[in-house]
Amino acid sequence: MIALLIANSLALASLLIMLASGLALIYGLRDVINFGHGAIYMLGAYLGYSVALVGGFWLALAVVPILLALLGVAFEYLVLRPLQGRSHIEVALVTLGLGIILGQIIIFVYGGVARGVEAPGFLSGSITVFELSYPVYRIFLIAMGLGSCALLALWLSFTTSGLYVRAVSQDPSVARMMGINADRLSLLVTSLSAAFAGVAGVLAGPYLSVDPGMDVTMIVNCLIIVVIGGAGSIFGAIIAALLFGFVQVAGSVFLPDLAALAPYILLMVVLLVAPRGLGRGRVLN
Amino acid sequence: MSREAATDGNLRGAAVGPLGGASWRAPLAMLSAAILFVLGATAPTRFASEFVLRLGEGGLLLGILALSVAFLMNQAGLVALGAASIYGGAGYLFAIAISQWDATAIEALLLSFLIMLAYSAILGALIVRTNPLAFMMLTLAAGEMISHSVMLEGLRDYTGGADGLVVSFPDSILGMGAADFASPTRFWLVAWVAAWLAGLALWAVRRSRLGVILRAVRENEERMRFSGFDTYAPRLIAFVLINCIAAICGLLHVLNAGFVSPDSLGLQVSTNALVAALMGGVGGSTGPILGGLIFSFAQDQFSAFGVTQLSTGIAVVVFIVVFPRGILGGVQLFARSLGSRRVRP
Repeated sequence: MIALLIANSLALASLLIMLASGLALIYGLRDVINFGHGAIYMLGAYLGYSVALVGGFWLALAVVPILLALLGVAFEYLVLRPLQGRSHIEVALVTLGLGIILGQIIIFVYGGVARGVEAPGFLSGSITVFELSYPVYRIFLIAMGLGSCALLALWLSFTTSGLYVRAVSQDPSVARMMGINADRLSLLVTSLSAAFAGVAGVLAGPYLSVDPGMDVTMIVNCLIIVVIGGAGSIFGAIIAALLFGFVQVAGSVFLPDLAALAPYILLMVVLLVAPRGLGRGRVLN
Repeated sequence: MSREAATDGNLRGAAVGPLGGASWRAPLAMLSAAILFVLGATAPTRFASEFVLRLGEGGLLLGILALSVAFLMNQAGLVALGAASIYGGAGYLFAIAISQWDATAIEALLLSFLIMLAYSAILGALIVRTNPLAFMMLTLAAGEMISHSVMLEGLRDYTGGADGLVVSFPDSILGMGAADFASPTRFWLVAWVAAWLAGLALWAVRRSRLGVILRAVRENEERMRFSGFDTYAPRLIAFVLINCIAAICGLLHVLNAGFVSPDSLGLQVSTNALVAALMGGVGGSTGPILGGLIFSFAQDQFSAFGVTQLSTGIAVVVFIVVFPRGILGGVQLFARSLGSRRVRP
């Protein structure tokens, strides 16, 4: 029971980590919360659906992140850089508008119906671990989530560009004074964040459904996680995503009536106890 | 040349200012506002069709909601993305009070208003201390929380789930029964007066000491705190104030429509109000109302093509990137540039 609960919350948290860390990365560099992130994720899911129909799930998992990384490059050059001089609130509102536009285009192209994506052959069954039967796909999801988490942590901790990202996130002006090119970093981070959203979108296909409301649901969840984690703090976001996943899954098991409200209750509690979030990033208040 | 023009302008200003400028301008503005008020209150119900009146009423209500969003945005630098939760929440409470708690219409109005007041005070106490970006995220999250809670299975008996609730009250409010509120010709005056009252109230707050403090906190919170000002209470008061206006707007809507549905709590309502505010210009009281009216009529045009939400998104981007001061601000700038051109020889 407890093992199942933890496994399920890890599976959900895996998706959330990929999305929320992307949000937190961009926030750390640019001070911008990308309200269009949910739409990018939805685009990833629908593109994944299309590519999977043609070339199978694995091709989708390889192609879609690359396509979305290109979208991230466009986002950086066409939106973030030209609007650099504007207030962060205005840029955030522009991303909100762009997210609505993207979401509507997707609905226009695919119609407003939910789509299902089949997991590939050997991921579709269940296996029995310690007398517990568990879907293989969720284990795969957890492996992907923890794997990307580890990659992200390695990148941030041990590479030069990771060091620069941490430096800019901690103190943008000092980092720039030390000669770090924040624009070039931002290009990297924006495309990375969009690519992660693409991976999450494709992975979400067989796990959750691919439906027109997924962008709003996911962006709201991610915003809650970013606030709980202390915005700009990637490690805070990871912890918060794990916590969030656990609360939501536990909520749906123990309090099914109130499960939909569990994330918000978590948010309110964290805001009351630690208004600055859990992480030690450059906080939002 | 330009220096001459500038001094010329200054001299003119100096000559006109103390003598005639202020003394004739204020009464003229009041007179034209009064004429506009009377014209708007009487003319549309005589000349406009019921369909146009309905669009106009929707526009006025959206304008009131936009007014609340614009006020907080312009005065406090905070963007509220949860306007719908107050707007729809008040409507839901009113409907629940009427149908479940057997309240009279007046009691239901007061009760739902007070509950929304308490809710926004508690929510505001939690979230106004955060920075503007976090505030925006948190209002979005709180709005989604309300719209999810209406759909909860356990509350289905109260909220009617996805179907919403029909509101019918037998008694009257200030001499108007349910049928009067539903009639486009009778409701127009209510919406029109409400829009004016909301606009005037926020105009007065903008000119008050609270407005000055809010703008100062918006510019530099740290400096204000350092100067010994409380930066928390003014923002909380502003948040509660605009939510009161949003709640009144929601109550008017439910009185007019006669039903509440989960749509009224959706993110779309909040973004519509935001777009209306951006479209009209967030700087004053006229802009958002005008924006609401424009939005309502434009939405009617666009809905024929099924692209309402798409155009909402495009409007957000265009009005922030290209016309940050909205239509009204743009017109004012244009007029001013015409005026200054005339001064130059």
